[in-house]
Amino acid sequence: MALLKIDEVTKVYEGKVTRRALNQLSFEVEKGEFLAVMGPSGSGKTTLLNVISTIDSLTSGEITIDGVDPHALTPDELALFRRRELGFVFQDFNLLQMLTVEENLVLPLTLDYIKTDEMARRVLELAKRLGLTPFLHKRPNELSGGEAQRTAIGRALIHKPTIILADEPTGNLDSKTSREVLSLLSRVSNEENATIVMVTHDPIAASYCDRVLFIKDGEFFNEIYSDERQQTFYQRILNVLSLLGGNVNDLSATRLP
Amino acid sequence: MTFRQLAYRNVLRNRRSYAAFLLASVVSVMVFFIYSMFIFHPLFEGAQLQFFALRGMLIAEVVLYIFTLFFLFYSMSAFLQARSKEFGILIQLGMTKKQLNKLIFFETVILGAVSTVTGIVFGYAFTKLFFMIGREIMQLEQLPLYVSWKPFALTIAAFASLFLIISFISVSFIRAKKVLELMKGFWREQEETTVSKFLSLLGFVLLGYSYTQAALVTDENVYQMAFIIPPIATLGTYLFFTHSIHSLLSFSKRSRKLYWHKTRLVAIAETSAKLRDSAQMFFIVTIVSTVAFLAVGTLASISSYTGDFRQSNPLGLIYISFEGNEAEDAHIEGLINELEERKLAYDLVTFEVKRQTSSQTGNIVDILAEDEFNRLARSLSFEAVNLGAGQAMFVPYSIESREQLEGVEVETELIESGVELEIDAVHPSIMFPIHTLNYNSIVVSMEDFETMDEPVNGLTLEQSTYTYYAFDVRNWEETSGIGSELSSVIEAAAESGNYSGLNFFFENPGDDYRWFQSSFALLLLIGLMVAVVFLLAAGSFIYFKLYTGLEQDRKQFRLLVHLGMTEKELKKVVNRQLVPQFFLPWALALLHSVFAFVSLQIVWDEFAQLSILDELVIVLAGFTALQIFYFFLIRWRYIAHLQAS
Repeated sequence: MALLKIDEVTKVYEGKVTRRALNQLSFEVEKGEFLAVMGPSGSGKTTLLNVISTIDSLTSGEITIDGVDPHALTPDELALFRRRELGFVFQDFNLLQMLTVEENLVLPLTLDYIKTDEMARRVLELAKRLGLTPFLHKRPNELSGGEAQRTAIGRALIHKPTIILADEPTGNLDSKTSREVLSLLSRVSNEENATIVMVTHDPIAASYCDRVLFIKDGEFFNEIYSDERQQTFYQRILNVLSLLGGNVNDLSATRLP
Repeated sequence: MTFRQLAYRNVLRNRRSYAAFLLASVVSVMVFFIYSMFIFHPLFEGAQLQFFALRGMLIAEVVLYIFTLFFLFYSMSAFLQARSKEFGILIQLGMTKKQLNKLIFFETVILGAVSTVTGIVFGYAFTKLFFMIGREIMQLEQLPLYVSWKPFALTIAAFASLFLIISFISVSFIRAKKVLELMKGFWREQEETTVSKFLSLLGFVLLGYSYTQAALVTDENVYQMAFIIPPIATLGTYLFFTHSIHSLLSFSKRSRKLYWHKTRLVAIAETSAKLRDSAQMFFIVTIVSTVAFLAVGTLASISSYTGDFRQSNPLGLIYISFEGNEAEDAHIEGLINELEERKLAYDLVTFEVKRQTSSQTGNIVDILAEDEFNRLARSLSFEAVNLGAGQAMFVPYSIESREQLEGVEVETELIESGVELEIDAVHPSIMFPIHTLNYNSIVVSMEDFETMDEPVNGLTLEQSTYTYYAFDVRNWEETSGIGSELSSVIEAAAESGNYSGLNFFFENPGDDYRWFQSSFALLLLIGLMVAVVFLLAAGSFIYFKLYTGLEQDRKQFRLLVHLGMTEKELKKVVNRQLVPQFFLPWALALLHSVFAFVSLQIVWDEFAQLSILDELVIVLAGFTALQIFYFFLIRWRYIAHLQAS
């Protein structure tokens, strides 16, 4: 049974120029799967993530997460849904500057009336697992990029969400830290059976996943599954990318909102 | 795009961040211009009331000028710092320092021109309204709008010089910085400042000390304390915002049960970050608001200064006729006619006052007869006197003189008539206003009064007596204008200092009362307008801080939506963030003012039995309403900006 079901999803931006960002896209994500979504810029990756995360509305089609259609919920139910079922990791970490690492980690829990003892217990456990224990009382501006992204991942995990959505999580990191963060995500996916959907333009990042989905102009293009060796998987991803036509290097790392 | 166009477009496209700042400058120019219109009004040349009020306006103009200078100085430095990233880019693109200075200079000149012109246009539009209010307050027949170049010239000269000073100074704000520092931007620079436990405690101690001292102030030490308390309270306020409040907040963060609860986590953290970022701004806002509250509160309480006036002026009209006054009967008849025309009930007591020389002091003494004195006392419902032969009583001319004469016993002989008197008491009420009787006045028994038939040395008998006409008018406030011809004769004599040839004296306390009332009301109006400028300026600081932090806040807002905050919770967070920023300085200013007024009440008590509570409640409630309105306005705009992505 698929955990996330994307069914014929279409998103059209009305405006001076009407733009079809997603066009009848369908795919499924199984529980515990670590999926990468790749595509050239303008292919609709971020729009896809936004409609899954319910930040953006759908023009047509249906999305179900664990049997629930979030787009049918009222705004308040939707907020509760995001709070409990979704976890987010962003390219620029998006930590709250005025909160310490510890406070950033518990933020999703405080919204949900969890008992203080329970929160403290979970923070300690999580910090140990993510290697954040020495930084718990530091502010985000005192952290390195890798530490900040680990904190952000911790924030996405702490409330045990159904699905974790990551938007270019390694976009702002150097290659060594990127590898650390990706191994962490893949470990989380394996050990805790967490479901992760990651948007990326980086083939190395994609090679850490179980499956890579390619989209182009908002439509399904191809998908490949990982094999025994990461190296060969990486090679196959590169092959598909060259088929995709766009040059990997011209995908900009920083996007304007 | 020419260089000047760049400057022009910078201002135009930054208009949102300049909005509150412009509003405060425009209102300041407007108020300044309206005062100038009053000052140069052709009608006000030489008249007394107007002179008093005009001096108040002149002072208000100077205060406005100085305040606006500081306000602009502070705002411009904050603006330029907020835009340092932009300047960094310009320098990186090859702009020379000289060009950058020129750019800032142009921008400031544009801002100055816009606010001066807009201020004058609005000022001129509102002048008619203020002239109408002024006419009502000053009881003038008319106060027409007029056209003259003078108020325009004064306002333009004042603000042109002001903005020129600011544009020269503001250039120096960014002179020293390196490009890299500029590029990093100003707002990122704020590092965690350490909060000193000692200083936060000191802040509370200083505030507590000032408050207790202000509450416990006594008549004896009030003037001394007026110099001690304000600096201590100011220092305390500064420490409160830079240290104490942060200690308090980190203390509240210690309890996780309280802190890690729903929206509180974000709200408290956000508030403490904002308070820390702009501690100095909050300090300035607090002090400026306190000064505004105090100014208006003091003026409002002065304008209620009537009790004392009535006490020292119980008579409605006073006419005194000296020797050789042929117009006496005509004047009295005229006054009576005027009173009857206005249907004012009155009681006229006429009596003779004799002058003699006291052997004790060698001074001339004015002497009243018991019967006549009692007749007037009864009419005014004061205590009557009962004197035997050789007995006399002091007649006080003011509350202070009554206190001085209390318990004084004098034995004296009136040199001319040889009457020996023992003066051993003072009449408890002031019946005759100051200047209408000699400072040394006594009342004596009938038989003693009759034996005094010798004139003062070198004078005729007629010259050493005079007739006093005392009108007791129940509705004494309404006598204003009665006997205006007589008043103008007296006024003319007073102005030239030449009383010779004047053989009567006339005083109408109702006129003086009006004068008091309208002068104070006018002062209150002047003070209120200055206070409005102050409060707008204080509000504009807060608006500016909010606006420059908007980009950051919007990003946070989006994150919180991702994390699953409902709209209701978000509004709650925004509220909890905005309320302290708006109302913490305001509440502290209010507290400061309340304690200052407690002291002021003690000062007032000393020379006038006067409660200033009513006026204060009105003033402070008015400002509270204004502040709440401003809060909702800003919150509405802020939330709209946050949600716009």
